[in-house]
Amino acid sequence: MRIEERLYTLRYKKDEQPHLAIIDPNRCLKCAEVNGVPQPCIAVCPANVYAWINQKIIVSYENCVECGACRIACPFDNIMWKYPRYGLGIALRYG
Amino acid sequence: MDFDVIVVGAGPAGSAAALTAAKGGAKVLLLERGPEPGSKNVSGAMVRLDYFTPTFDVSSIPIERKVKSVDLMFLSDNNRVRININVNANLANVGRLKLDKWMAQQAEKAGALLITKTTVLGVEKDYDKYKVITDRGDIRADRIVLAEGVNALVSIKANIRPDLNPDQAVQAVKEVYSLNKDEINRRFGFKADDEGTSWRILGTDPVPYAGFLYVYKDAVAIGVGVPMSILIKRKITPYTVLDEVKERLGFNELVKGSSLREYSAKVIPEYGFPSWRACSGKIYLAGDAIGLVDPLTFDGIGPAIASGTLAGKAALESYECNRYEAELLKDREVRKVVNSRPLVKELINEDNFKYYVRTVNELLHSWVYGDLSKVKLDVGRMLKHLLLGIGVLKS
Ligand SMILES: Cc1cc2nc3c(=O)[nH]c(=O)nc-3n(C[C@H](O)[C@H](O)[C@H](O)COP(=O)(O)OP(=O)(O)OC[C@H]3O[C@@H](n4cnc5c(N)ncnc54)[C@H](O)[C@@H]3O)c2cc1C
Ligand code: SF4
Ligand code: SF4
Repeated sequence: MRIEERLYTLRYKKDEQPHLAIIDPNRCLKCAEVNGVPQPCIAVCPANVYAWINQKIIVSYENCVECGACRIACPFDNIMWKYPRYGLGIALRYG
Repeated sequence: MDFDVIVVGAGPAGSAAALTAAKGGAKVLLLERGPEPGSKNVSGAMVRLDYFTPTFDVSSIPIERKVKSVDLMFLSDNNRVRININVNANLANVGRLKLDKWMAQQAEKAGALLITKTTVLGVEKDYDKYKVITDRGDIRADRIVLAEGVNALVSIKANIRPDLNPDQAVQAVKEVYSLNKDEINRRFGFKADDEGTSWRILGTDPVPYAGFLYVYKDAVAIGVGVPMSILIKRKITPYTVLDEVKERLGFNELVKGSSLREYSAKVIPEYGFPSWRACSGKIYLAGDAIGLVDPLTFDGIGPAIASGTLAGKAALESYECNRYEAELLKDREVRKVVNSRPLVKELINEDNFKYYVRTVNELLHSWVYGDLSKVKLDVGRMLKHLLLGIGVLKS
């Protein structure tokens, strides 16, 4: 089953303000040189939030399941990682 | 309005802390970022009722099923060993939403004020009090408990502990499939509606992982945890590992006809207290926020409740940091995690992990075939780990 289909099972309330962002795109280029692709953030993310397109990291923050793995995995501390505001984001039934 | 104690996070650690402090007469505020307690929390669901009895009134605990057996599985190459252990008492499968709500309700009944949908952004010293900054405004309190779980942004920002690195963390993904109760009873061979099981799976392919299966009233959950450094090194995503494990176990056959109800993920910490501080001034940390999980057994709710209860007591009585940390080290649940750290570190090592899973498999398969002569045991390695396990050696 594709990841997008799995994510359909989740209840999301979107925070209009992104809670994830790349701090410096140049560090991602360097990261791709050092670590190859897919880079650490892409490998650990269970929700395909990160994609490497045209030498740039694209962040689909609205798919995030708030696990925190990418922040820990990024060797360049290059991810601005916050929680969505006011309890927005995912709400689990089983958890 | 000022509070005596503000607790950040309404998971097992936070609710235990809030309940303990409120019971002692403190004016307690319990802050939770999710729309309700548990709604942001992921875990498997095997708990011991003994976890709860020192702190909560367990007469009304919401249990999904009683665990009557635990299956231990070792999967390597094409070999598989499955050991079935019967369980006589005290283990249960729970769902986090219901369980966490129930724990928070007990804290509320004791007088704590619960506010949800509120994320704490930071804690600052404010003269002789603390200012807790949230996305809905600031509040002040004399003492703080940070029970914010594995992504302890507030504790990290306050410089009480560092962030985890990939060698110190397991990434876990989980899927829940809904299936009606009778069908679950039939497929798992349960004789009653409240009978359940748990599987613990240790496997080596496609990468080393620890997997689990839990049975709820009307659903079956499966998941895997993989050391984050292995995912990064092998450039493999956690759901790819889960899909392979499901394939190897014939899981899709087991839940045939049912549909995926929920997909979730969470990081499991493998490092923390006592290498990290658990306290600063009158701020006390508990649970996953200081890494109190045994990653090999996925045992985290017990230590979270034990440490949260101690943090609530520390906040109530304004402990000095040394006293709080000494009390933590005296606690049975906390000590279990702390003592297992050196061994966990060794076993999470890819080589060692693979060695043990393969050796258990080879040993038992050779025994079945009646020829143990080909099994080569690395006695030195096993002795070292045995000594680490019983705490004679320090890594
Ligand atoms: C896949 C998986 C399987 C597991 N299986 C088991 C098992 O079978 N048995 C077992 O005992 N343990 C298990 N564990 C471990 C267990 O889930 C954790 O150890 C336990 O939940 C830790 O409790 P806690 O209260 O410290 O943190 P959490 O349960 O994570 O609670 C933290 C709370 O704080 C809130 N929060 C965080 N930051 C903020 C903030 N800034 N502001 C406001 N609120 C905030 C969160 O929303 C959350 O409610 C498992 C873990 C995983 C990932
Ligand atoms: S791991 Fe960090 S530096 Fe590397 S690509 Fe991802 S965000 Fe960029
Ligand atoms: S927090 Fe988890 S789900 Fe969200 S982007 Fe990071 S790795 Fe992906």
